[in-house]
Amino acid sequence: MYRAAVIGLGRMGSTFDDEISSGGAIFLPYCHAPSYAASPYTELVAGADLHAEQGAIFADRWGLDQEHIYGDYREMLAAERPDIVSICTTARHRAAIIQDAIQAGVKAIWAEKPLTLSLAEADAIIELSARNSVAIAVNCSRRHSPFLTEARRMAQSGELGDILQITAYTECYISHNGSHAIDTMRYLVDGDVEWVFGEMESDEEAAGEEDLMGNGYLAFDNGVRGYIRAMPTGIAPWEFDLIGTEGRVRSLSNGAETQYYRWVPGGLRDEGLPARAPFPLPLSIQGTGLSVIADLVNAIETGSDPRCSAEDGRKALEIAIAMRESHRQGGRRVDLPVADRSLRILSVEIGGDAVPARVRRLQQEPVVA
Amino acid sequence: MSESTYRAAVIGLGRMGSTFDDEIRQGGQFFMPYCHAPTYAASPHTELVAGADPHVEQGAIFAERWGLENRQIYADYREMLEAERPDFVSMCTTARHRAAIMIDAINAGVKAIWAEKPFTLSLAEADEVIELAAKKGVAIAVNCSRRYNVFFTEARRMVEEGELGELLQITAYTQCNLSSNGSHAIDTMRYLVGGDVEWVFGEMESDEKAAGDEDLMGNGYMVFNNGVRGFLRGTPTGAAPWEFDLIGTEGRVRSLAQGMETQYYCWVPGGPRGRNLPARAPFPLPTSIPAMGPAVIEDLIQCIDSGAPPRCSDEDGRKALEIAIAMRESHRLGGCRVELPLADRSLRLLSSEIAQDAVPARIRRLKGRWP
Amino acid sequence: MSESKFRAAVIGLGRMGSTFDDEIEQGGQFFMPYCHAPTYTASPRTDLIAGADPHAEQGEIFADRWGLERGQIYADYREMLEAERPDFVSICTTARLRAQIMIDAINAGVKAIWAEKPFTLSLAEADEVIELGNRKDVAIAVNCSRRYNVFFNEARRMVDEGELGEILQITAYAQCNLSHNGSHSIDAMRYLAAGDVEWVFGEMESDEKAAGDEDLMGNGYMAFDNGARGFLRGTPTGAAPWEFDLIGTEGRVRSLAQGMEAQYYRWVPGGLRDQGLPARAPFPLPTQIPSSGLSVIEDLVDCIETGRQPRCSGEDGRKALEIAIALRESHRRGGRRVDLPLADRSLRILSVEIREDAVPARVRRMQRN
Repeated sequence: MYRAAVIGLGRMGSTFDDEISSGGAIFLPYCHAPSYAASPYTELVAGADLHAEQGAIFADRWGLDQEHIYGDYREMLAAERPDIVSICTTARHRAAIIQDAIQAGVKAIWAEKPLTLSLAEADAIIELSARNSVAIAVNCSRRHSPFLTEARRMAQSGELGDILQITAYTECYISHNGSHAIDTMRYLVDGDVEWVFGEMESDEEAAGEEDLMGNGYLAFDNGVRGYIRAMPTGIAPWEFDLIGTEGRVRSLSNGAETQYYRWVPGGLRDEGLPARAPFPLPLSIQGTGLSVIADLVNAIETGSDPRCSAEDGRKALEIAIAMRESHRQGGRRVDLPVADRSLRILSVEIGGDAVPARVRRLQQEPVVA
Repeated sequence: MSESTYRAAVIGLGRMGSTFDDEIRQGGQFFMPYCHAPTYAASPHTELVAGADPHVEQGAIFAERWGLENRQIYADYREMLEAERPDFVSMCTTARHRAAIMIDAINAGVKAIWAEKPFTLSLAEADEVIELAAKKGVAIAVNCSRRYNVFFTEARRMVEEGELGELLQITAYTQCNLSSNGSHAIDTMRYLVGGDVEWVFGEMESDEKAAGDEDLMGNGYMVFNNGVRGFLRGTPTGAAPWEFDLIGTEGRVRSLAQGMETQYYCWVPGGPRGRNLPARAPFPLPTSIPAMGPAVIEDLIQCIDSGAPPRCSDEDGRKALEIAIAMRESHRLGGCRVELPLADRSLRLLSSEIAQDAVPARIRRLKGRWP
Repeated sequence: MSESKFRAAVIGLGRMGSTFDDEIEQGGQFFMPYCHAPTYTASPRTDLIAGADPHAEQGEIFADRWGLERGQIYADYREMLEAERPDFVSICTTARLRAQIMIDAINAGVKAIWAEKPFTLSLAEADEVIELGNRKDVAIAVNCSRRYNVFFNEARRMVDEGELGEILQITAYAQCNLSHNGSHSIDAMRYLAAGDVEWVFGEMESDEKAAGDEDLMGNGYMAFDNGARGFLRGTPTGAAPWEFDLIGTEGRVRSLAQGMEAQYYRWVPGGLRDQGLPARAPFPLPTQIPSSGLSVIEDLVDCIETGRQPRCSGEDGRKALEIAIALRESHRRGGRRVDLPLADRSLRILSVEIREDAVPARVRRMQRN
């Protein structure tokens, strides 16, 4: 059993699963603490958070003694010597904490997304983790969706023919949840982005460093073309459409429905018709978090890269930044990699992060006399 | 609508002018009569009086198929215009001569033109035809026929009546050359969105193709003046043949498989955290399904009577061409957004149909079969 | 739930008892582990400790596949019951012997039985097993496994919570013999309709077949006590393989293509005269997708501990058989409605699997090769 600790005891670190009532995109256990509690590979041994309220709730919810809850994560790393550590703080401190955890000798890190705010931070983390052989998994959890994983398997095994197009409709900020969207596109297509074109929601937003909405056109090195609409999507919430010469998989309504199309005879002049066939479900569907942990344990034991690695996290950020650069340059295609490593996007979650979201909510609730 | 019957003639007696409908066995994209001669033959408002084509074989087949005398078939369309004085004339020749023929027809005094797509090869040609038609009060309908297909007109009705909420996105998957069939794709995007394109970004199939004037495949991103964003994939589309996806805040219409299937989505309660789910509802068909060709005729007659522009006007034809050219310009400029309208009116796209147009396609096929 | 592990044994070491899962490559109808031995091996609640089969080849393959010693394999199940004292026993033999073996197992003191379908051949046998099982407090689950499939569970949940309104109709297309796989289809209809059948009308594939006791194909009309009506097409179904269609006043669930696709319809505004239109909404997946086999074990463990009946009980097995027999009786009487329960308890259907059961199917296949 690996000793696991969580840094940042808010929603994703602790109680996100308690809010979830339907599956599709998410199969429980999903977030960090419940996954460590349920996995046969791990034991949840400690938590760290600056905010005492968060620690108290965490200890209570996960049955830890108060002595295993730390105000300072460095103390926790030194005292508890965890093998696996989850980074669920605001993205503002993620890079620094990841580096401290690597230096403290952890074997693996399960980091929330986005991986970092700047490209330079991402570079530093990847370099340091490679040197210390620490496996880092970024929680772009759609890589552990049984449906999207099956779609990728179909693409890789040739069942969809040559892959041509990936379209994503995902209303989101391009760093915060956009990292999910962009990473999923890369995952399904199994290629790297060579250049992008982007349009941001406004010139003002594009000029600044705050997280923002935008659309992008992505040219992949394997010939696939991608289109992401991260501006408002109305009645097409969180949709991925993977199109090949022989077949097509669509994931609709944030994963609630998956469709598979393949050619059947028929049509005008017998060119064939795309018919909707049952989507081939895998034989077992496990909790998303359990799949992440199994993947990390495998990375620790074999040296393989996690399914969503730090490199993947960096690429999602770099694509988002390149899309914004395209807009900044007056609407011009931008090649990757981006030369200026100081570029960054301040993921929307860091707005107001001096006080954790849950604590803000608690403070807002009226006191009942 | 006027009571009299209009005299109609077809110039260019190949497939679209004459026998296209004979190949079609399934509806959805097409409701018959669809192409020119069968429409004039079927419409109560028109009488098919003549045809013109320099190729004798085409004329003979046309006369036989549509029951015309040989004297009603002309090798020279100018002679035909002079002798027959048609009210309606259809332009079904290769696109190479379309602009010149339209100008001649307008000058010969026709009331309405039903032109195949693409409208013209160059922007300058389009400008000239439009300017002349406006001066002479001639109605020109371009045959971007989805504007006359009930599924698309119903989608547009839903947009206009607010049933889809605020429009956000139009996506098209249409493997095609940008001028030849791309004019269909681009025009349909404009029609569904009900807006005009302000600027585009485009990627062509190759730098070599983008550098030339030949028709070519490409993808494009379009910004509409009503806030909608468009994405056109005109490069190969595999298992997503000819698809349009119109997304609004309240509803969505998808036309799949060349129009054979139309889907409508609207919100129902449910979903994670009660944010609602998009559910597929039956597409609301109207109570009658008009044939597409007669719908063009009705439209043109109304234009003759009222002076209003046709549902798919010459202006629409010019805009489809201009958007296609702007997408190519974007690629030529190294991947750069391009604003509309384009300043350089000499720009053109040699629609792929004009390759080998010295001999009509049907005659090439006939010769191939009997060497 | 008690912490100790239950001792589990399998009687009948053929395909369902042992290696069925090894053939399955796609989920939807099945989520692994599904059949008996792999489930006992995977469950944290059970240890697989023995197998019994008169055919030595079967025993060898079983020992090999599941890592048992030769001493744990018995030719005579009575010896096995005596020597190993299992808590759980699976009955995976030909249906010919099932009633007798269940009776012996109950008398040997097992706590729970997981029986293959059909439950028994005759109504009298079913009566005897159920009576004895109740008297000795033995939980009997019949493996009509759709009751342990997540899509069917979710459909039933929607029924129970009123989300489909009042249930009106259950239609099943299931090309099958009425006892053998028909027990699956009849049981799934009862499960989804959440009611009991009061009377039936049936048409068998031929008068000759209907006159005999052999398993046979047929169609049936069923009147449920909650007002629902059922139609089973058990004769060939062409392009509608294994489909269930559950229709209520407010919603509808269809399970297509052997369970590979589940559809959910509900009303939206619109339609002729604004009567509303049925719209297809994403099927609401739960947050966890359990394995079918493990669900059976959890269910049986809970029955042992609480004394309640399993989700697919011996009673459910008897009712599926009784409905099938009543459908045949209806045909025998010249096409006449038949009320349940049936008075003549000697009636039986010789489930198709018992033909040629002197030699197990796998051994027959090996001998041919």
